[in-house]
Amino acid sequence: MLRFVAVRLLQSVVTLALLSLVVFVLARTTGDPLHMILPMSATEEDYANARRYLGLDRPYVEQYLSFVGRAVTGDFGTSIRARRPVSELLRERLPNSLRLALFAMAVSLAMAFPLGVLAAVNKGTGVDRSAQIIAILGQSLPSFWIAIVLVEFVAGRWQWLPAGGIGGLSSYVLPGFTLGWFVVAGLMRLLRSGMLEVLDSEYVKLARLKGVAEVRVVWVHALKNALIPVVTFAGIYFSILVTTAIVVETVFAWPGLGRLAYDGITSRDFPVIQAVVLTTAAIVAVVNLGVDVLYAVIDPRIRYAR
Amino acid sequence: MRRWCRIGVLSVSLAVVTSIAGSPAWGQAKSELTVALSSFSAETLDPALQGHNVKYYLSLMFDYLVGTTPDGQPSQAGGLASKWEASADHKRWTFHLRKGVKFHTGEEMTSEDVKFSLQRAMGKRSTTGYAGPLRTLIQDIETPAPDRVVVVTKDPTLIIPTYLSRSLSTEGMVLPRKYIEANGDDVFARKPVGTGPYRFVEQVVGSHIKLAAVDGHWRTGTPKYKTITFKLVPEETTRIALLRRGEVDLADVSRERVKELQAEGFPVHLRKDEAILHMWWVLGPDGRVGPTKDKRVREALNVAIDRNEVAQSIFGGFAEPAAIPMGLSWSFRDVGFKPTPEMQYAYDPARAKKLLAEAGHGGGFPLDVYAFQLPGLAEGKAFAEAIAGYWEKIGVKPRLIPVDYPAFRKLWVDRKAPEAVGYYNIANRDWIGTFALLEKQAYTPSKLNDTVNDAEIDAMIAQVLRQTDRDKINALMRNIFTRLRSEHYGVPVVYIHSPYATAKTLPKWNPGSVMYDLFIDQLAASK
Repeated sequence: MLRFVAVRLLQSVVTLALLSLVVFVLARTTGDPLHMILPMSATEEDYANARRYLGLDRPYVEQYLSFVGRAVTGDFGTSIRARRPVSELLRERLPNSLRLALFAMAVSLAMAFPLGVLAAVNKGTGVDRSAQIIAILGQSLPSFWIAIVLVEFVAGRWQWLPAGGIGGLSSYVLPGFTLGWFVVAGLMRLLRSGMLEVLDSEYVKLARLKGVAEVRVVWVHALKNALIPVVTFAGIYFSILVTTAIVVETVFAWPGLGRLAYDGITSRDFPVIQAVVLTTAAIVAVVNLGVDVLYAVIDPRIRYAR
Repeated sequence: MRRWCRIGVLSVSLAVVTSIAGSPAWGQAKSELTVALSSFSAETLDPALQGHNVKYYLSLMFDYLVGTTPDGQPSQAGGLASKWEASADHKRWTFHLRKGVKFHTGEEMTSEDVKFSLQRAMGKRSTTGYAGPLRTLIQDIETPAPDRVVVVTKDPTLIIPTYLSRSLSTEGMVLPRKYIEANGDDVFARKPVGTGPYRFVEQVVGSHIKLAAVDGHWRTGTPKYKTITFKLVPEETTRIALLRRGEVDLADVSRERVKELQAEGFPVHLRKDEAILHMWWVLGPDGRVGPTKDKRVREALNVAIDRNEVAQSIFGGFAEPAAIPMGLSWSFRDVGFKPTPEMQYAYDPARAKKLLAEAGHGGGFPLDVYAFQLPGLAEGKAFAEAIAGYWEKIGVKPRLIPVDYPAFRKLWVDRKAPEAVGYYNIANRDWIGTFALLEKQAYTPSKLNDTVNDAEIDAMIAQVLRQTDRDKINALMRNIFTRLRSEHYGVPVVYIHSPYATAKTLPKWNPGSVMYDLFIDQLAASK
């Protein structure tokens, strides 16, 4: 297991190194950040001064080496737009995104588990169809639309919950639900198909014959064995929720990583783009590794031996 | 049955969680003012690192050397200079400073701070709106006394007080020399210190900026609101929901939501003619190229547009037709210019077709129209599509190119898309602000941004730069506007009004007409 983890970590480092080069090059092909930070009235001299001050006049190789050299120590340079250290911006934003993603994942699991299990247990009935409709709606309705409808009615007109910004637990409900509902369909369908398969297996039949209560058969014996694909899916989606919740963060005025990335891209803020992409990649790598390790915990038959 | 009981328990639990909607996220007491804005621009708090569009919050933390009234007129009551005068040759401008004004650190503000601030604003690190012109203009800054500062210019000029006033960018903001020298630029940018009626409390980039009132401030007295929080809320639905919930007191809203909000009883304040929506043709490396080199083609493209329809259908009636290329209307009153009825572009597609035919382009010609979204202009792409539609009707073959603004700006200043059309919502401003715009966008020597390339206009702009007789300046400005219009150097479309909705409990407020400044300090003033 240790060897497996070590190899995966090494692969992640190589991936991050390659990615650093790709993002460095791609960010610079999108345009010049000075067109965003300098006023319309800026002269050629202003452009030259700003370029020099921001270190953008140095050769690309030098800029890249300097970026990589500092990035390994956690220093991603200074934001061209906000003129603050990027690591500081990440420290402010990443926890907000992680907390929102955790809440959203809790919402989606809280919805997907009962829906998936109920749908499987009541296969082909009205309960099954209703559960599937609820789940599919979350994926088929655009997040921005759900978010705006919730803000307009639940927050604005009925005034039940906060409309935006980070506050108490209540401020997580609408953005968390919007993000979480999207994931429900996938989780629920995986869980349903997994449960259907497991519920038909010999050991479940045996448990029933032995007189084990149906609740225990379904929620303990069957559910545990239907979890592996769900864990994979949830892991992948957790990374996505952390890093790409741009629409939800924008609608709910949530200062997270997604909006930081969006602002970085629209203002050609190279240091921010580079930092967000590398951080995102690192999160995906860590979560995937975590998921792999979790497999072994859920199913003791899985071992990562040589 | 038991299964359904569990579902019931789950639902109740969820309801309990969701009902922890106790206090709103941004709770507010009476002494707090919360402002929700769709954009904070760059969110830098150092005046030397941004231009106009950070003034919403910076003008509360810093005082300008020269104050202005909310309608943009110089005011001896609103700035750190209580009076100023020019030498006979208009090359020495003496500013008399208010005594006893203190920075938020408790340090007294002196002429050394003014000199330091101005030098910093003109420094190579500065990216403010007018750092370049000030560098060209100013020769020296003298401090003969702690309450007196003299700005010496290389050439006679009238424009120094305006450049250093609240009506323009951030160059006139006075900063604490000792604090910055002791702590460095980075610390200052994170914990800015000024002499304004509000001091900095905290900033969370992408979220909010919080300020606290300074007791007994010379300009406002002790402000009515103990704190002012600027919230960054990009989505309008959310801003309006926050307003309805009483979590914000003031928010920028779109033109299309105004009637709905007014019907609900929310006061909506309009900043009339806040910007001109203006289109222009990108020049080639050596000036104007292609069909639009012909004045008749430029006129045809102008008369092909139904400006009243644009104002009504795209801007919900909160816009007025514009007639003068780069004609910022707040400057008209300053220089005594009044567009005549003949100058208004009447919608006349038949005439447009005739003009094109006369110019030898009766069969039309391809024209690239770059369509991008601009901050504060949600209607940007719809506007570009509408204009392309009008031009299509007269036989021109517009090609809409969706792009983001930085990409277009690069093509524009690099002159890589000659004759393509771009547009901008240019903030309205007084005569000197307008002149500064013309000097960049209508003056051939400026190269980078020029969109006009006309020797006659170049000569007039050069004269304004050297002229110290205000009447002559006014005449020159009027002539520049007249020629811009008669030669159709651009497509002025509409002046747009910008709405701001406030809480029903907010007292009467004049958002003024200074670009990127809402004069919230006047709302908070107790004297």
